[in-house]
Formats: sequence, C-alpha cells, structure tokens
Amino acid sequence: MSDVVCRSGVELLIDYLEGLLAPDVRAAIEAHVAGCRRCEAFIASYLETPRIVRDATRMEMPADLEASLLAALRAARGAEP
Amino acid sequence: MIGRAPESTDEDLAARAAAGDDAAFETLVLRYQQRVFRLACRLTSETDAPDVVQETFWQVYRNVLTFRGNAQFSTWLYRIATNAGLMHRRARSRRPAESLDEFQPRFDADGRLEETPDALRVVCRVDELLDRQVLAEKAQAAIDGLPDLYREAFVLRDLEELSTAEVAQVLRVEPATVRQRVHRARLMVREYLSELAGGRP
Repeated sequence: MSDVVCRSGVELLIDYLEGLLAPDVRAAIEAHVAGCRRCEAFIASYLETPRIVRDATRMEMPADLEASLLAALRAARGAEP
Repeated sequence: MIGRAPESTDEDLAARAAAGDDAAFETLVLRYQQRVFRLACRLTSETDAPDVVQETFWQVYRNVLTFRGNAQFSTWLYRIATNAGLMHRRARSRRPAESLDEFQPRFDADGRLEETPDALRVVCRVDELLDRQVLAEKAQAAIDGLPDLYREAFVLRDLEELSTAEVAQVLRVEPATVRQRVHRARLMVREYLSELAGGRP
C-alpha cells in the first residue's frame, strides 16, 4: 500500500490510532504523514477535538439535586405496591 | 481493626439491592450520580438532565433483579442512562439548532486535504480563541447536532472516556461499529470547531 493520500489516511486514522492496521498499511501511512504538513496538522487537531469538547462540557451535579434525587427515589419506592 | 474495610464492589451492592437492601441501592446512587448527571447533560441538556438521572436510577431500582452479576454493573447502568437520554430526546422531539451532517473534511481532486496546515491546526487553539461560556454552549450544540448513533458513541467513548470495548457492550454493537461512529463524530465535531475558530472558510 504505497498510494496513501490525505483522504485515505484520514479514513484509516482511528484504526491507526487504536493499533489495528497491518504493519505495511501502518508504515505507508506513517511515510505519507512524515512528508505531509497538512496531515500532521489534521491529526493534531483530530486528537485535540475530544479533549476540547470534554473540558467544555464537564458539568457538576448541584448539591441540592443530589438531595432531591435521593428523596424522589425514596418517595417512589414508598409508593410501590 | 486497623484501616477501612474494603469498599463493596458495584456487583456486590447490586446483588444486595436485588435482595431488598435499600441502603445498598442508595450507595450505588451516590457512587454514580455525578457520572450519570454528566452523561445526561451531554446527551440531552443541563435542564433535562435531572429528569434523565432520576429516570435512570428508578429503572435501576425496578430492574436490578434482571441484572446479571456476570456483566459489569457500570456497563448496565450506562446502557440504561443512554437509553433514558434517547427516550427523553424523542419525547421532546428535540431538534438540534444545527445539524453537523454536512461537516466533513474537504479534499481536492487528488485526495489532498484542501486547507492549509495553519488552518487545519487552528482547532487546537479554539479554547484560547473563544470565551469559556461561548465554547461551553457551542460544544454542547456540536454534540446536539450529531446524528443520534454518532452522538451516543462519541459521548461514551470520547467524553465519558469508556474504552471502545466498553462502549460496544453498552450499545450492543461490534467494536468496529463503535470505531466507525466515533470517527465520523470526531470528523464532524472537528470541522465544527474549525469553523468556530475561523479555520474553515
């Protein structure tokens, strides 16, 4: 597999990252990326994407909600036949 | 006796809850409520999350007899919570403000990425470029704009940081399917962040 272009590299990126590609395919992708500043930049941004969304949506459950959750569950259990 | 007794495993607590031990059930609630709340916020919204959390633990209580100790309790719980989130979205006929379907990386006729390296890389700085509150809203809008199947896989794998194998068990699909969905979601969200950061023309 020597005909890697950006498109095929992007398609295979998650399998590459999870170590699932055959050694020759892996080597072909690495050879392409080593000479491709676009792919290098794309991969960096692909890897950052989950972290950015994760950090931006890290909600804490408010303390009053913790109390009302237990109370609601107790009330529901009490209403069980 | 010196030191603390070892904490009961989730599976022990679930077995005791199934036998009618309400304190064991409440220990599970306390242990997981933060995680379920965070998941519910991401799958629905901060406003809807309290209902989803309550529905999730109520389902756990009602169905704990059907939980089999040979599965992981957390996997079972995440499945219930994910379904509760989806049901909630459907009940609300929730329509995303914008769909991410069209957000894809772009290639030229030779299969080369179209954007310049600098434009591609600008995503890495989106959290410096945007106000914190704006980014929080946009990140939630991005999750919201994903197709349902991609949203679940992306939230569980990349935001809740379960392994691919765990997500496969939660969603009852093959690991390869999880990878495919997570990958599609990452590509869409990456493009969306790129547009926010001004990297996408």
